[in-house]
Amino acid sequence: MSAVLPGDPAAAPTLPDVLPPVRRRGAVMRFVVRHPTIVAGGALIGLMIFIAICAPYLHTVDPTALAPARRTRAPSPQYWFGTDMLGRDIYSRVLYGSRVSLIVGFSVALLASVIGMLIGLVSGFVRWTDALIMRIMDGLMAIPGILLAIALMALTRGSVQNVIIAITVPQVPQVARLVRGLVLSLREQPFVEAATASGSRFWKIAFRHILPNTLAPLTVQATYICASAMITEAILSFIGAGTPPIIPSWGNIMAEGRALWQVKPYIVFFPAIFLSVTVLAVNLLGDGLRDALDPRAAGRL
Amino acid sequence: MLAYILRRVLQTIPVMAFVALFVFSLLYIAPGDPAAIIAGDQATPADIARIHAQLGLDRPFLVRFADWAWRVLHGDLGVSIFTNLPVSHMIAQRIEPTLSLMILTMILSIVIAVPMGVLAAWKQGTLIDRAVMLNAVIGFSVPVFVIGYVLAYIFALQLEWLPVQGFTSISQGFWPFLRTLILPAVTLGGIYIALIARITRATMLEVLSQDYVRTARAKGLGQNSVLFLHALKNAAVPIATVIGLGVALLIGGAVVTETVFAIPGLGRLTVDAILRRDYPVIQGVVLLFSFAFVLVNLLVDLTYTFFDPRIRY
Repeated sequence: MSAVLPGDPAAAPTLPDVLPPVRRRGAVMRFVVRHPTIVAGGALIGLMIFIAICAPYLHTVDPTALAPARRTRAPSPQYWFGTDMLGRDIYSRVLYGSRVSLIVGFSVALLASVIGMLIGLVSGFVRWTDALIMRIMDGLMAIPGILLAIALMALTRGSVQNVIIAITVPQVPQVARLVRGLVLSLREQPFVEAATASGSRFWKIAFRHILPNTLAPLTVQATYICASAMITEAILSFIGAGTPPIIPSWGNIMAEGRALWQVKPYIVFFPAIFLSVTVLAVNLLGDGLRDALDPRAAGRL
Repeated sequence: MLAYILRRVLQTIPVMAFVALFVFSLLYIAPGDPAAIIAGDQATPADIARIHAQLGLDRPFLVRFADWAWRVLHGDLGVSIFTNLPVSHMIAQRIEPTLSLMILTMILSIVIAVPMGVLAAWKQGTLIDRAVMLNAVIGFSVPVFVIGYVLAYIFALQLEWLPVQGFTSISQGFWPFLRTLILPAVTLGGIYIALIARITRATMLEVLSQDYVRTARAKGLGQNSVLFLHALKNAAVPIATVIGLGVALLIGGAVVTETVFAIPGLGRLTVDAILRRDYPVIQGVVLLFSFAFVLVNLLVDLTYTFFDPRIRY
């Protein structure tokens, strides 16, 4: 058998390019095209974090400075979002208010995930605790989340820290259930058997082999918790059971604008828009992450 | 079937007992003297002593709990610290608006969301599907009071089609009753519709790829018959589950919706109780709503046999 060498007259002529040339995109562009929701959500969240951190430098004044002479001014070049019934600048208050929402959202997502994950791991691994822990979680889940948060807030003094605790408690059972379910199916997998057979200790199996496999669904769940925590914080503040009124938060601004909303709707609408867009961004990120991490479910839910 | 119902009812008892224990002990888990917590910041020592005696704090915890649980079982939820009226009496006065609002919202949401989800699944990948999904994401993202204010601004203040706020009892006629509840029900339904539409679409997509749907199509059944009689009925169990679980969202949302639309219901009672730190009222409302939530989910469980006769217990 004779090899066909390059340049050999017997070789077939090079095929003409019928297909259009493959457009070469950079890694960044490829990511944007594949995961538009992650990029859009992430960019919006990034913008909000920027606003929260740089609030003092974005043409704001002291958000708590009273100016009774300039009460309830409509939006104007001087007061971009107008002023509230105590003459405070709503633009400044809304920008500073982003801090509370973001801190509460991220803290609750982190705390609920970590606590729920630990409870779920124990419940899934240690058989005799399973029934007891899951009954307690069922009981906690039977109390509607916002009501549980309201009851907790009614017992404590209003502070950002207490708001975070009150919103975290109702979120923990769902994470615990999710992680428990994952652990129960993962512990039967061959790679865990292999680890057990090769003499790995319990903790090593739990943290090296099981835990990393729960992280993807847990991350998705955490983004949804973050979004719902932001809404719950606003609801608690709105009904007067949340962040103390001295601290500007979106819920507080809306709670104060409530009495005047029929005549001065902009007091309620500016924080409402910021809150909705931020929560939308977190939800988009969550949807995008879910599709990216579990391609099988993509486009279904 | 009867044995199953009985077993299922018995299963809810430990859950309810835990809820009762938890709601009761919250006051004692919180740091500080419970009497001082209830009395608030401006209380005199005499106030605290009075509440101390009212709560019977000198007796052991379990004795107090047993005593309290016994009275709750007899419909006695204690006495409001602010108004000195029985909590059960205050709840009974306020239950009609909340119950009407929630039932109307459920009916409205199911009637809107289920066809929306079916349509999205049927037209998967088209513009309709995307619009439904976008709607769902927005429903999850916009807080309930924001929806309320926007709707009230458009339909009540600008167009003046519907009343801005208030509540009319059904005893004063069905139309005035419905007119005051339309905006609150649509407001409260936002997130619920999003939830139901999403799960309907997801389950329908799964069901529509099954063999029996292809068989139904192959034997020449019309589109409606395939979608609603064959596919939707088989997708009903997960949808019913989510409708039941979503009641928790409705309960939380009702508190806010009643504040926005000045409806004198249980939600408004809760908000007033928070502002006055009237803990017995909060305790009563949380307990009532939790029991209602457990009960709704029990009923949902019992409908499964209706949708899917293969489920035998």
